[in-house]
Amino acid sequence: MTKVMTELPGIDRIRKRFLEMLSERQTQIASHGLAAWDGKTVEEINSNLAGAQAILHQIAGSAGSLGFEELGQAARGCEMRIVDHLAGPDADLAICPVELISSLDSFVAACRKQIEAAA
Amino acid sequence: MRILAVDDDPIILELLGQFVEIIGTHELTTADSALDALEVLGDPETGPIDCFMLDIQMPGMDGIELAKRIRETSRHSDTPILMLTAMSDKRYIDGAFAAGATDYVTKPFEIAELTSRIKMVEGLAQDRQLRTKKIFAAKSVADQTSHVELFEPISIYDVDNVIEYTAMENYVAQLSRSALFGSTTFAFTIREIDAFHAALSAFEFYSLISDVAEVLSDTLVGHQFLMSYAGNGTFVCITESGWRPDMRGLMDQVNFELSQTELFDNHGERIHPRVSAGAAVRLIWKSGSSVMDALAQAHSSAEEASLAHTRSLTNFWDVDQRA
Repeated sequence: MTKVMTELPGIDRIRKRFLEMLSERQTQIASHGLAAWDGKTVEEINSNLAGAQAILHQIAGSAGSLGFEELGQAARGCEMRIVDHLAGPDADLAICPVELISSLDSFVAACRKQIEAAA
Repeated sequence: MRILAVDDDPIILELLGQFVEIIGTHELTTADSALDALEVLGDPETGPIDCFMLDIQMPGMDGIELAKRIRETSRHSDTPILMLTAMSDKRYIDGAFAAGATDYVTKPFEIAELTSRIKMVEGLAQDRQLRTKKIFAAKSVADQTSHVELFEPISIYDVDNVIEYTAMENYVAQLSRSALFGSTTFAFTIREIDAFHAALSAFEFYSLISDVAEVLSDTLVGHQFLMSYAGNGTFVCITESGWRPDMRGLMDQVNFELSQTELFDNHGERIHPRVSAGAAVRLIWKSGSSVMDALAQAHSSAEEASLAHTRSLTNFWDVDQRA
């Protein structure tokens, strides 16, 4: 059924805008990821992870409706990993798990691939 | 129908705009934050809003807090609110219903789901307009308070975890299989509700229902639950937490609290409502219409318990004196 949403008139214009925004958003995710990785305090790490999570949340919410199902699922997976970490026992430690950074890195690479494919 | 959609993602607002355009005669107004939405609502030039669509996770004030703020205004105390939720928002759904949401739709959107939710909301908005017209008509003719039918579900405001009956049905219909595993539904019925209904004015009856709802809500505090007034003196509750309520113990507790609460009618006469409790029905292994049947089963068992209690007062030798 999601595919039917992509058949809405005017959807091409929205897809184009989504891809333009994706280009900015992937840069923001990458810089939040780097800042979290380099962060020295719990506050610095967690606020950057939360920043990345908020952007991933937006991508996860709209990508699937525009025909980018795989990207949407990858965003949701990444988002949930951050949510679980921030709600978990290590959230009050000044540690940014390498698994989180690696999953953000893979997601950013997937965004680039998507943008290139559409160009 | 005039819809106000609130989402911090411009893509979602554009998608909704496109969707609303193709499904018909609706008009969409958008806001990109809760504060922006409150500004739109506060603007005297904004016409009436028939439906809200609110994103849950937004920076600053979230959609749940916004739903609460909307419900606090008398103009929108019963305007349908559809929450726009992502899969990762599932943990917030209970809070959204408790804040006054009518239903929710999951992102990414599916046309069939979105269409059916909009249709449901459209029906509610039409009922609401009809109701408002009736109330105004009654007031202009005789300046009397509106009539409340005994079997009619009543919307109760400002009582924790109490939601509208339609919202309860929507909530139950969308419970996932894993959520059903730990869910139980149960109900309480105010004894001799027909006598209260016959003796009290519409306003007094509404106050009685609200007061009993408050006592029930206070008694159940500490447990995860949602509750709704289904009409005929019956409150239907649902818990998802795996809690297995002891109905007899709960009933005694509620009746004790009611005995400690001083309730009066408009003539200053004290009234003494008491409740009967029905069976706690587990929702495990149920799906589709059988979940609704379970709700109905909990509902009718509370009403049967109430009737059995009334019968036991006139037939002392009746051995079945449960409740």
